[in-house]
Amino acid sequence: MTPRFPFSAITGQQQAKKALLCALASDEIRSILITGNCGTGKSVLARSLETIVPGKRLLNLPLNVTNDRLLGSIDMDAAVSTGVIRHSPGILEQANRHILYADDINLMDEGAVTSLLNTAETGEVICERESISHRARTQFLLVATMNPAEGELSPAQMDRFDLCIGLDSIGEEEMRGAIIRNQLVFEREPETLSRHYGEQESALTKTVAAARDRLPYVSIPEGHAGLIASVCLELGVAGQRGDLAAARAAKALAALDSRDSVEFDDIKLATLFALEHRRREIPDAPPPVPPQNKPPKQDNEREQEKNPPEPDQSNPPQEDPDTQPETNQERDPEKKKNLPPPLRDQIFAIGSPFEVIRYLNESSQKTTRKQKSGRRTRVISSDASGHYRSFRFPGKNRHDIAIDATLRAAAPYQCSREKHGLAISVRKTDLREKVREKKTAHTILFLVDASGSMGARKRMVAVKGAIVSLLTDAYQKRDRVGMMVFRGSGSRLLLPPTKSPDLAIQLLQALPTGGMTPLTQGLADAFELLTRGRFASSDENRSIVILSDGRVNVSWKDTRSPYEELRDLARNVSESDIRFVVVDTEEGFPRLGRARALAGDLGATYFRLEALCSRHLAGAVQGVVYQGGRTS
Amino acid sequence: MSGENVVYPFSAIVGQDDMKDALMANIVLPSIGGVLIRGEKGTAKSTSVRALADLLPEREVIKGCIFRCSPSDTRNLCESCREILAGNGHPETVPARMRVVELPLCATEDRVAGTLDIEHAITKGTRKFEPGVLASANGNILYVDEVNLLDDHIVDLLLDAAAMGVNFVEREGISYSHPARFLLVGTMNPEEGDLRPQLLDRFGLVVDVEGERDTAKRSEIVKRRLAFEPDPPAFLKQYEAEQQKIRSRILAARQLVRTMEPDDHLIDTAVKVSLSLGVDGHRSDLTLVKTSLALAALDGRSTVGKEHILKAAGLALPHRMRRRPFEESRVDIGTIHSLIEECYS
Repeated sequence: MTPRFPFSAITGQQQAKKALLCALASDEIRSILITGNCGTGKSVLARSLETIVPGKRLLNLPLNVTNDRLLGSIDMDAAVSTGVIRHSPGILEQANRHILYADDINLMDEGAVTSLLNTAETGEVICERESISHRARTQFLLVATMNPAEGELSPAQMDRFDLCIGLDSIGEEEMRGAIIRNQLVFEREPETLSRHYGEQESALTKTVAAARDRLPYVSIPEGHAGLIASVCLELGVAGQRGDLAAARAAKALAALDSRDSVEFDDIKLATLFALEHRRREIPDAPPPVPPQNKPPKQDNEREQEKNPPEPDQSNPPQEDPDTQPETNQERDPEKKKNLPPPLRDQIFAIGSPFEVIRYLNESSQKTTRKQKSGRRTRVISSDASGHYRSFRFPGKNRHDIAIDATLRAAAPYQCSREKHGLAISVRKTDLREKVREKKTAHTILFLVDASGSMGARKRMVAVKGAIVSLLTDAYQKRDRVGMMVFRGSGSRLLLPPTKSPDLAIQLLQALPTGGMTPLTQGLADAFELLTRGRFASSDENRSIVILSDGRVNVSWKDTRSPYEELRDLARNVSESDIRFVVVDTEEGFPRLGRARALAGDLGATYFRLEALCSRHLAGAVQGVVYQGGRTS
Repeated sequence: MSGENVVYPFSAIVGQDDMKDALMANIVLPSIGGVLIRGEKGTAKSTSVRALADLLPEREVIKGCIFRCSPSDTRNLCESCREILAGNGHPETVPARMRVVELPLCATEDRVAGTLDIEHAITKGTRKFEPGVLASANGNILYVDEVNLLDDHIVDLLLDAAAMGVNFVEREGISYSHPARFLLVGTMNPEEGDLRPQLLDRFGLVVDVEGERDTAKRSEIVKRRLAFEPDPPAFLKQYEAEQQKIRSRILAARQLVRTMEPDDHLIDTAVKVSLSLGVDGHRSDLTLVKTSLALAALDGRSTVGKEHILKAAGLALPHRMRRRPFEESRVDIGTIHSLIEECYS
């Protein structure tokens, strides 16, 4: 038996431990999700559960589990030796009465997650595969962990978890010291640590057992039951799962505390466990940095505000007559009162990040499945590369045989076939082929306008915020992202496409704004980067996301007007297989709609900057519930 | 030593002290969690890792076990060894040297994790597990060249196994688990793209290597390489005394580190340093303590000195400084060094 880190030896994380004890005390609580950053002890906590419930085992569910092992399949050994068709249980059934542990569930195959959550909720595993029809009751506690930085689960999947608890980051020196000491002792002499905490562990075991006995007799007073419902409403929790889970957790908490009646504090804690991950937008949450609503001026920014650069005035672009009127229009009264600006570069802060809507037009990719955070777009691989997901009857070329499925298909006939000295005889009709799945690597290049006009009215703050959000989103989908900026006389590749965009944030921080707007040049360079050299692989989905107001005032090659040149280039590149997204950063009034025109020429998906963050989820929602839980 | 397989001796590698220290510290205390070596082409990254093979210690393993379970390490046994030990308690053992097991980039999932033994299934009609690379890696060094180019689903596999020390296989009709404790060593050229932060965090230490700038040293590198190529065995003989010295140093340190306890001062310092980095996780604290212990042991000292923790900080912290993917860090290694100086003054 591999020694486990004792539950009681885990320092801090009182709330998470309480939530896990609730789940152990109540059979009605079927699933719990633990979230936290790298190295905060999610796995240690989950695996330590085994130490306080003797008789229950912790079964590991590997990330790459295949359906035959998850749901069960034909018992091949029995079929081959006796010709009996029998079901061989999968891990969901084997986990009956035990604990099923899924590490990094947000990275697991979507189908597996669905089967897992369904089974946990209904307590029934249904297998209809490979000539086997089988149903069985199974009741287990699903304990899953995830690091949200690697991508989130969908709201529907989150809702299926009865409880969800985030691990605190521990900032106290003493506690951190204790954590290290315990861990070092555990690595060297696990028995010593187990012995040291033996008494506490058996006390916990007794508490949980007593709570399980008491639970049927625990009730929620009328008034408190209404409380849960009102908290659910206040948090905008959809559906009834949250109410139920909160009530169950509250009862378990009371039972753990040897009480027959649920108290106010139980409800407070239970709603934290059961509702935090189910909350939706809060109606009165502050809007997410829409460019129009400027954030209150900071002292250090006020200086810059006094002198907003106006490149249109000090740097008149070489324009032809047809664009001239528009430039005049721009000089609206508000801008006129500004002093002619000194031409200097400015550096703007990064606006607050937000959740990004699905801005890459996915419907254009026919072969892809639904794109989700944490997983890149997946396609069925046509060659023998990628991850073996399922199997099918083979097509013309049988080169990638799924041996396991083939053997299972052949198994029932073994008693009647001539075997030529082998144990198994396989015929053509048994052959099954592997269906492999691989992620299409998205390469997304952000082309960012950093010219002087972006500095006007601190637009760059919101734009930087948008880029950070887009980069975060791209990272979670494991996309390759790069960033190119254009300003002054040309473009600069700030970040060659990479899977780790951390660096981009630092570069963005220091990115100066100012100068002319060579948009055409930028577009040409971005296009060239993605069509030549090592980022040009046609295997990949490539996108260029342009953040600009569509203005251009520097010619690229010839003497034509910059706008004509841009339009021609845009129409040319739009014929490639690169997808374009234009995020319009223009604000104020009147709007020139240049970016929209550019989007039209490029055949691009068009968004206004503020529309990108329309699905913003309020960050400070914890307020209602969380503070209540903390002060108790 | 057969002619084709002779690797360039570790002791003949010029300079690159950080890389050497990081590798040796991990052999002394494998729970440090491996090394990632970042650097341009031709900076002796792969040479150093392959050269390790000649320095690795031996241990007693249970005879016939494909996972090379050690009877003294009762926590990490495969199923059959656990049964054997539970039965008579004294299985026959053979010495086995720690090896460098390479994971090629093109490896497929079934070969990494292990899969259904096809031959066995066809001839015997029963399912049997055919071990993969993770099985060979148990108790050894798992080396991934160009680790930043590894496929995501293989990375997930490695992370899973590294986190648990066990490889759980639930696929293709096989349900099996076996110990997979390995020392993960990766090399990469940052120009080819960066590493996923989750994988980066798993590496205990990170070393950035640069090409040698000193002309005298550069020519020395060339001179040695030219001497090695025509007659590797003769070259090896020349360095055998040096190699032996390193081997004994590692062996002695491995003995010593087992008896060492981190003092409160060291732990307090590690905690303070980690807090200044603003990290949530506890890997930085732990790695810093363990690396300091290993470096002290390599120096033959049973207590950690300031120089050890300073050195350890340089190896264990740089990749943890900017923690969550999109937060800038406000500390650099200089700040940390002065913090350590402060704690140890």
